[in-house]
Amino acid sequence: MAFKGLKIGLLAATTAAMLAGAQGVAAQEGKSITTVVKISGIPWFDRMKTGVEKYAQEHSDMKIEQVGPATADSAQQLQIVQDLVARGVDALAVVPMDPAILEGVLKRAMDRGIVVVTHEADNQKNTMADVEAFDNAEYGAALNERLAKCMDGKGKWTTFVGSLGSRTHMQWVGAGEENAKKYPDMELVDPNNESFDDAQGTYEKAKEILRKHPDIKGFQTSAGNDVLGVGRAIEEAGLAGKVCLVGTGLPNPSAAYLDSGAITAIGFWDPQKAGMAMNSLATKILAGEEITDGMDLGVDGYHSVSVRPGAGDGVLVVGNGMVLVDKDTYKETLF
Amino acid sequence: MSKLDGNLFVLSVLIVLLLAVGGAASGGNYLSIYNLQSMANQVPEIGLLAIGVMLAMCSGNGGIDLSGIALANLSGVASGLVALSIFPVDEAPVLFTITFAGGCLLIGMLGGALNGFLISRFEITPILCTLGTQMAFTGAAVVFSEGRSVMIGSPPALYDLGNGLIFGVPASFLIFLGAALILGGVLRFTPYGMKLMLTGANPKAALFSGFNRDRILITTYALSGLMAGLAGVIIAARNINVKWDYGTSYLLIAILVAVMAGVRPDGGYGRVVNVVLSAITLQLLSSLLNFVGFSNFVRDFAWGALLLCFLAVNRFELVDQFITRFSLGRAARAPKN
Repeated sequence: MAFKGLKIGLLAATTAAMLAGAQGVAAQEGKSITTVVKISGIPWFDRMKTGVEKYAQEHSDMKIEQVGPATADSAQQLQIVQDLVARGVDALAVVPMDPAILEGVLKRAMDRGIVVVTHEADNQKNTMADVEAFDNAEYGAALNERLAKCMDGKGKWTTFVGSLGSRTHMQWVGAGEENAKKYPDMELVDPNNESFDDAQGTYEKAKEILRKHPDIKGFQTSAGNDVLGVGRAIEEAGLAGKVCLVGTGLPNPSAAYLDSGAITAIGFWDPQKAGMAMNSLATKILAGEEITDGMDLGVDGYHSVSVRPGAGDGVLVVGNGMVLVDKDTYKETLF
Repeated sequence: MSKLDGNLFVLSVLIVLLLAVGGAASGGNYLSIYNLQSMANQVPEIGLLAIGVMLAMCSGNGGIDLSGIALANLSGVASGLVALSIFPVDEAPVLFTITFAGGCLLIGMLGGALNGFLISRFEITPILCTLGTQMAFTGAAVVFSEGRSVMIGSPPALYDLGNGLIFGVPASFLIFLGAALILGGVLRFTPYGMKLMLTGANPKAALFSGFNRDRILITTYALSGLMAGLAGVIIAARNINVKWDYGTSYLLIAILVAVMAGVRPDGGYGRVVNVVLSAITLQLLSSLLNFVGFSNFVRDFAWGALLLCFLAVNRFELVDQFITRFSLGRAARAPKN
């Protein structure tokens, strides 16, 4: 009972769910899926909760909820997962604080017959499927493409990463550099500045770069707070709209800079959709469906996922959930 | 028995109450063997650290040990790296486990002794000293592991320590009870235990009585470190991996457990059995909240409320008053804590 390509968003998802409900998914009735996030009460995971709640509404015959520790500590998350395993939930959708710490308990969970799905943990060994919002290389290239468009394909540009040890950030800027080779007039200067995800420090560093290269035309940043620091430096230098800035960021904090033109565009993935995708995948596994390349999770950005071998016995499910918004479009996904 | 231990009484009642409420709220699921084992399996880490805090508190003069979890992580990381470099995990699992566990305990004890040395010799306030060593231990663990988690692996012997069952009881819980029993015996029956409590109760009198204060302090903090090292072994055995930033929230919870157990923050009084019960109570409560599906912010609130209750119990000797009022004939023997 494969879902055919009904790509009309939510309606499709609901219909599909109803269809699924009608056909032998009696196995899922009354089943419970608990989403465990890294930490509760922060905007990112509050947004994810809206997705989980939405999914719960669409599947009112199942018990679906989201929990998470009150403090950012992998030991606290471990405790919650362990209690849930003991409670006997049917499926766990976990966003691990630290994948290594959860290996033991997730293995025990699977030994007990619990379905385990993870997110943002492509190195997790003990999981049946890890959901990633997008391919890191594609994302980095997309950011750079947007930057090149703003720069008209010429001029000096530089990159920021959270830290040189951050694997995903290095993948993003690496893919960006690769993409920039399409534009011979784009000149990369002083790449891979470390921001440590600190807006203040990034601001200082961006000011230095603006002084050193008065003719710089573009910034591509990686950590969530980088756009804020660089955006502030650009705005204060009176260069808003003249210097391009594209990077990972969240709509709400970036709104003012997007409006002023200090930030050209921000990229991210929507935790709401990721939360729904995890639950959808868990439901499918509970129903005994095979995870196949190109399958439809019924969530925007995850209508045709690519399936690759994971770090352990499980698979890596990669969606196309990247969101790239600018001044005109950010209000559509404001969180 | 001349007097009733208010904390012991309240803790015991609470444990029974929590089990009853949990069983009722979850339709018996909470009382399933699997969950009881799962909860028992979670107690030792925090319980051992809390015993360490208790020892430090008993020594008086503002004694406290903030370096517990940092030392536990350091011992796991450092000993893990050494043991991994000596033995291939798969070929010599037992030897590996013994080396690893021994290394953890040794590092824990040395780290604790360092605390005791700094506090006794240089007269550094315990809270500042252990705050400093906490950062130093964490930093060392970061440097040794280059900030990554260290995979200890799960050789059979080590895995059994963390996850195995002996007569249906988790091995780690038995180790915890064993350590508590030995330490409780030491505090109660040896001259060291007596001297520790007396030093804590009145440092000046202890000094004039000719107690070797330095030795008592160093022994106490070394024991506290030993508990941290043991916690390090159990953490590694349970989680397969160890990491420098594991359990940052344990620091305050360990202190909470100790205070709930009626350990006097000014020193001189504390019972290991109460710490064990207190750690169990906290575990039952937090697992119960996870079972019912409450937000984890509620848990913080519940713990806070519980702590305030216990402070009230201690401060106003509620249990004693209660008993006095209901047994008129024995009113004359109203005990004082």
